[in-house]
Amino acid sequence: MTGCLELTNVSVSFEAVEVIRELSLAIVQGEFVAVVGPSGCGKTTLLNLVAGFERPSSGSVECHGQVRMVYQEDGLFPWATVTENIALGLRHIGDRRERKRQIGDLLRLIRIEGFEHHYPRQLSGGMRQLVELARALAGGSDVLLMDEPFSALDYLTRLRMRNELARLLSEMPRTAVLVTHDIEEAAQLADRVVVLTQRPARIRHEFTISTPRPREPTDFAVVDAVRRILAELDVESGTEASTK
Amino acid sequence: MKENTNTARALLLPALVAAIFIALWTAIWRAGVFHQSAFPSPLAVVRGFGLEVATGRLLNDSVTSLFRVTCGFLLAVALGIPAGVWMGQKLSARLAFLPMTNFFRNLSPLAWMPFAILWFGVGDAAAMFLIFLSVFFPVVLATMAAVGTIPLVYFHVAQNYGLRRFEKLTRVTLPAIMPQVITTLRVTAGVAWLVDVAAEMIAGRDGLGFAVMDARNGLRTDLLVVEMIVIGIIGVLIDRLLVQLTNVPSVRWGYER
Amino acid sequence: MRQYYAARWIVGTVLFTAVLGVLRYEPWKHEGARDVAARQQLTVGFLPVTCHLTCPVTDFATRTSRMTKFVSQRFNDFPTVVETMKAGRLDASFLIAPLAMKLREQGLPVKILYLGHRDGSEVMVRRDLPATSLRDLRGKVFAIPSIYSNQNLVIHKLMEDQGVKPSEIRFVEMAPPDMPEALASKAIDAYFVGEPYCAKAELDGSGKVLYYAKDIWPHFISCVLVVNEKLIRERPDVARDLVRGIAESGEWAETHRVRAASVVAPYFRQDEALIRHVLTEPPDRVSYRMLNPTDVEMQEIADMALRAGILEKRADIRHLVDRSFIPDTIRAVDIR
Repeated sequence: MTGCLELTNVSVSFEAVEVIRELSLAIVQGEFVAVVGPSGCGKTTLLNLVAGFERPSSGSVECHGQVRMVYQEDGLFPWATVTENIALGLRHIGDRRERKRQIGDLLRLIRIEGFEHHYPRQLSGGMRQLVELARALAGGSDVLLMDEPFSALDYLTRLRMRNELARLLSEMPRTAVLVTHDIEEAAQLADRVVVLTQRPARIRHEFTISTPRPREPTDFAVVDAVRRILAELDVESGTEASTK
Repeated sequence: MKENTNTARALLLPALVAAIFIALWTAIWRAGVFHQSAFPSPLAVVRGFGLEVATGRLLNDSVTSLFRVTCGFLLAVALGIPAGVWMGQKLSARLAFLPMTNFFRNLSPLAWMPFAILWFGVGDAAAMFLIFLSVFFPVVLATMAAVGTIPLVYFHVAQNYGLRRFEKLTRVTLPAIMPQVITTLRVTAGVAWLVDVAAEMIAGRDGLGFAVMDARNGLRTDLLVVEMIVIGIIGVLIDRLLVQLTNVPSVRWGYER
Repeated sequence: MRQYYAARWIVGTVLFTAVLGVLRYEPWKHEGARDVAARQQLTVGFLPVTCHLTCPVTDFATRTSRMTKFVSQRFNDFPTVVETMKAGRLDASFLIAPLAMKLREQGLPVKILYLGHRDGSEVMVRRDLPATSLRDLRGKVFAIPSIYSNQNLVIHKLMEDQGVKPSEIRFVEMAPPDMPEALASKAIDAYFVGEPYCAKAELDGSGKVLYYAKDIWPHFISCVLVVNEKLIRERPDVARDLVRGIAESGEWAETHRVRAASVVAPYFRQDEALIRHVLTEPPDRVSYRMLNPTDVEMQEIADMALRAGILEKRADIRHLVDRSFIPDTIRAVDIR
C-alpha cells in the first residue's frame, strides 16, 4: 500500500560505531510521526534509511511510494530559481503546460506569487523552507521526510511555519516523518511522537496525540504532551542534574 | 543624488591620480634624471602611439596576442574542467594524477619555452602551448577542489528527485562548482595574458610582446611605453569581461554568502 | 535561465574567437597570394643588426623580380633562430660564425655558403675613461653579445697579443640593444658588438670607439649565411639564387649607402639616421664586398673557438663551407 513505511529490527553501524539497534517502527498511510531524542542519537540516520541514502546493517526497511526529503537549510539548489526548484519535483510530468499549471498552483498554495524567478538567497528563511516543502509535495509524492526543517528559523517564524505545514498537509495529505529537537513542535504537529534513546538508538517510548490538527501551542493536549515527553527525556523541572 | 556624486568621484579620483602620474613623469623627464634615450617624454609616447596606430601595427599585434590567449585559454578550460571534475569525483583518478598535476602546476610555463619553439616553431602554436600549460593545471586543481566541497545534501536531493548520472553532472555538479571555477578563470586569464606577452618577447615574430622586444632592439623607448600601456589596458579589459561572468544570476549565490 | 546564459556566453565566445581568427589570418589577403606560390619562395632569418643588412635588401629586391622570392624573417636573438632551425621551420639564416660551427658539431646539417658582411663591429668604451688599449681596461666590466660570438674570440686573441690575462677583465654576456644604455649608466665600462649598437652610444655621446674591427682583424667576420643541407639537396637553384641575391644586394649597398639606410630602416624598425651613420661614418666602417669565406679564415675562427672551449673537437672546414653557389661576377642589384 502506497504511503506506508515499515522498519523491522533495523540496526545500523558505521565501522565501530553502532548508531541504531534493533529498531522497529511501522507507519500507516497519512500518519504524521514525529521523532525526538537526544542529539546525535541517530534520528537523521533513520530518515536516510527511509529515503534510501543509507542501508541497514541488518533488518529490513520497507517503504511504499515516492519519498521526498526536506532539509534543515540549503536543501534548495542555490543556482536555480524558485520555479526551477519546484519543477524538480514535477520532472515526471511530460506536458509542459500541465507542469506550468501545477507550479502555479503550488506557488499560490505557499503564497509566494511574485517570487517565481527569485533565487533562494533572495528569499527569507521561512520562504525558503516553504519552497522546499512545495518542491517535496509536488507531483503527487507519497511520503514527506523532514529533517529539522524549521530549526534554523527564529521562534515566531517557527510558530507560523507549523501552521503552514499543518495547512499544506490538510490540502495535500501525505505520510509524514518529522525529525526535530523542538518538542513543542512535535507535540503540536504529530499524531504520534516517538522518543528515541541515546545512541545506539532504540524506541524508548511512543505517545499518541489524538486531538485533530490544527492545534495551538497553548492547547491542553499540546502542553500535556510536551510535559510527558520532557519527563520521558529526564529534563523535566531540573531533574536532569540529578539523573546525570 | 548620493549615487551621482559617487559616480562622479569614481571617475574623477582615478583621473586625478592619472594626471598626477603624468605630471610626475613629465617632471622627471624635464629634470633629466635619466638619459633622454632612456626616458621618453609623454609627448613622444603620444606621437609614437599615433605612429603605431597609423601603420596598423598596433591593431595587428593586439589581435595576434588576443587570438593566442583566447585559443590557448579556451582549449585549456575546455579540457581542464572535465579533467578536474573527473579527478574530483574519482578517488583513484585523484590519487593517480594529483601529484603530477601539482608538479606541472608549480613549473613555470616559461621554462617550456625552448621546447615550445623546438616542437612548434616560432608563432601561434608555441605561444598557445605555453598559455595552455599556464591555464590547464590551475583550472584542473581548482575544479577538483570545488567538486570536493559540494555539500552532500545536493546529491541526496538529486537522488531523491530521480536525477540520472548525466543530469547529476549538468544540474548539480557543474552549477555547484561554477562560482569557484569562474574565480579561477579570472585569475588564470590574467596569468595567460602575462605568459603570452612573455612568450612573445622570447619566441615571437608578432604580437605585443614581440613589439616590446622589437621596440627595445630598435632603441625606441617611446614605442616601448606605447606597447606597455596597450598591454596593461588589454589586461584590464580581459578581467572586466570575465567579471561579467560573476553577474550571471545562477552563479551570484557563490559570491553573496 | 541557466541555459539562456550558458548559450549566450558560448555564442559570445565563439563569435569573439572567430572575429579574432579572421582578423589574425585575414583570409581575403591570401586570394592574391596564389600567383606568388607559383614562384619559388624561401624564408631567411636575420637579426636587426647591420651585419644582416643584405637580407632585407634581398627581400626588397626580389619583391619585383622574377627569380626566387626571398622573405626575410626578423628574429630578436640567436637562440630562437637556432631553435627554429632545429625545428625544421627555417632553412636559411644569418648566424654568428662560431655558433654555426657549434650547430654543425651538434649534428644539425648546416653549411656556410657565404658571409653577411665584413667589419662592422667596434670596441666601445665609456667616454670618460682615458683608455687607449685593452691594458687600460684591466679590472673593468666588458660586455660581449654571446660566448659563441666571434667578437668574444677576437677580443681574447687581442688580449693575448697585448699581454692581458683572461682573468684581468670581467666579461659579461649582454643583449646588444642593452649595451648602449648600460654604458651610459656606467653599469659596464666597454663592449664589443656589431652595429648599430656601437653607433648608438657614439651618437648619444656616452661612448667612444676604442678599436674598429678592421684595426684588430682586417676584414673581420662576424656573421655568416647558413643553410640546411636539405635546401642544397632539394632546391639547389634556390640556394644559388639566394647567394647571388645577397651578393648583388651587398654590392648595391656598398655603393648606395644612404639609399640602403632608408630601405632597411622599416625592416629593422630603427632610426634611419642611426643606420645612415653606421653606413657612412666612416664609409669603411662596414663592408659588403669580398664576402667569400676562405678556408684559412674559417679554420682560424674554428681553432680559436676550440681553444676557448666553445667547440669540442677541431671542425673540418671542408665539410662546413660550400663555395659552389657563389657567382663568378657580381653586379649590383637593380633597385630603383
